[in-house]
Amino acid sequence: MSEKQLILVVDDDPDLVEAVSMKLEALEYRVATAYDGEEAMEKIKEEKPVLVILDVMMPRKNGWEVCDDIKNNDDLKSIIIVLLTAVADSVKTTSYTHHDGKTTLADDYIPKPIDLDKLMEIVKDHCQ
Amino acid sequence: MATDNSSKNSIKDSVKDVFFQPRVLVVDDEVRIQKACQRLLTEEGCDVEVAQDGIKGLKMIDEKHFDIILLDLMMPGMSGLDVLTDVKSRHPDTVVIIITGYATLEHSIETMKKGAFDFLSKPFSPTELRLVIAKAIESIRTLQDIATEKSRMRVMINTLSNGVLTTDNQQRIALANPAFLKMIGCRKTSVIGHKVFEFIKDTRLLDMIDQAIQQPANTFAEITDEIAMPFSKEDQDMIIGVRCIPFRDRLNRNLGSITVFNDITALKKIDQLKSDFVSMVAHEIKSPLNSILMQLNVVLDGLAGDLTKKQKDILQRTSERIKSLTILSGELLDLSKIESGLINQEREQLDLIELIKGQVEFYRDKADAKSILLTVKKTKKEIYMLGNRINIEEVMSNLISNAIRYSPSGGQITVWADEKSDCAKIVVSDTGFGIGQKELEHIFDRFFRVKNETTRYINGTGLGLSIVKSIVDAHHGTIEVESEIDKGSCFSIYFPRSEYKI
Repeated sequence: MSEKQLILVVDDDPDLVEAVSMKLEALEYRVATAYDGEEAMEKIKEEKPVLVILDVMMPRKNGWEVCDDIKNNDDLKSIIIVLLTAVADSVKTTSYTHHDGKTTLADDYIPKPIDLDKLMEIVKDHCQ
Repeated sequence: MATDNSSKNSIKDSVKDVFFQPRVLVVDDEVRIQKACQRLLTEEGCDVEVAQDGIKGLKMIDEKHFDIILLDLMMPGMSGLDVLTDVKSRHPDTVVIIITGYATLEHSIETMKKGAFDFLSKPFSPTELRLVIAKAIESIRTLQDIATEKSRMRVMINTLSNGVLTTDNQQRIALANPAFLKMIGCRKTSVIGHKVFEFIKDTRLLDMIDQAIQQPANTFAEITDEIAMPFSKEDQDMIIGVRCIPFRDRLNRNLGSITVFNDITALKKIDQLKSDFVSMVAHEIKSPLNSILMQLNVVLDGLAGDLTKKQKDILQRTSERIKSLTILSGELLDLSKIESGLINQEREQLDLIELIKGQVEFYRDKADAKSILLTVKKTKKEIYMLGNRINIEEVMSNLISNAIRYSPSGGQITVWADEKSDCAKIVVSDTGFGIGQKELEHIFDRFFRVKNETTRYINGTGLGLSIVKSIVDAHHGTIEVESEIDKGSCFSIYFPRSEYKI
């Protein structure tokens, strides 16, 4: 790889952001972070990441809105979005999240609680 | 002639027990009889007055109440029979004893028909008079007891904070206490005799009353339900626990219904608060636990510096413990959602075969990891039921994951769905550790877990099956469990046909 790819991690839980960032850095990615939807939009416009790991439930601007803003903007719509969907909190099966993931414009999703190793696989798949 | 001496003091005995002094009116034109009766009965403790003819007698009766009237049939002016008719029509409680000079059968039958209590034939002895008066007092006392009991009952029912409604078998209101009238927001005081549907608008409640009245004599079932009634003062509904039973006579014929209403709004509120609280706590616990898990993952990967083998071991186990905590918080959330009735409202047509296949695929990896053969038995191409998708998935998910956890490696788990004329059925059968008879009774209790040598190291919250039960109940289904230690368990769930056909 000539240049390290930039990934933006967005979640209002700093511990989660830190853990995900450390894993990504270990995989030789560059990482940017944001802690709410508004901040995420600023960072996206400024730094043009390859991929955004995006939480849904956030203050100021939620993940669905950020997702819409990116995908409806011609300059940004090539950015890959992986949603962290906590909707499936109580459901141990995938069908529900599956359903939810599909109705958004996101490229992929992973249910919360996040399996970090699975998340890394998803990122690797999209960033090849 | 009654000559029984033991009955000599019978009036006094009777009078002693009655808390009033019996008022006796003697209506007879013979002064001799007037005098004799007056003297004798006064001695016995009665308050005696006399009238020499019917007109005078009736006038006295109108002025004040007499308990007993001794009435001569043959009098100048108004006849005794006419006096009797008049008295009975206006003072039905008054006991009338006929005095007659010629006690023929026809006369006695006629006077009895007109409501006389008894008769004395002239000439009569003091003992005979005492006896008949004692009998009359006895009767008055019984009637009084019934009246007292009736009014006691009425006062009691009227002071109850529970609502009480009784109807006859034509659905006419026989009794409605103030608490009930308040609950249905009825201001009218005279509802007695009206049909129930004139005042009750809730169809479920009308249904229950009808069911109680129609109940065949060979069964006796209490019909219970919870009904939401609009509450005028607040915007929130009042929740009423309703219990309705048929009311029968000695020959088991339905005379009507008795319904008791219990305002359980406050209880429901507290229950809701509890569910909300549990849900809140579970939510608040869940996210930090997830963060901790991720942080541990990072450290375990050596991304925060090298670890010794011992450190790694300990962190690994910490991770496992936290994972079971997140499962617990997840299940607490499920339970609180089910309890608050939030997630099983929406029903859709579900294909059980498709759902089962999906679930089995989902658990394939876990089963493989334990070398358990997890298969779907073929039955029909498709089986439909009307249910909530998330709920029914949850039921299967819980049963299959339980079967995996409580089976030794090399075991078999078979899952299938089938349908009969009256129900759809889901079965999860395993060759696992099985459940003992004693434990079987408790497996659906919250937080209950089978603990023995073989299952000690299996993680679990003890909420899974109680969630299954709640969901099945909400879908009006039933669960059957067959199990034998070391042979395996078989869980069968039946959903009634009405629930699965649109």
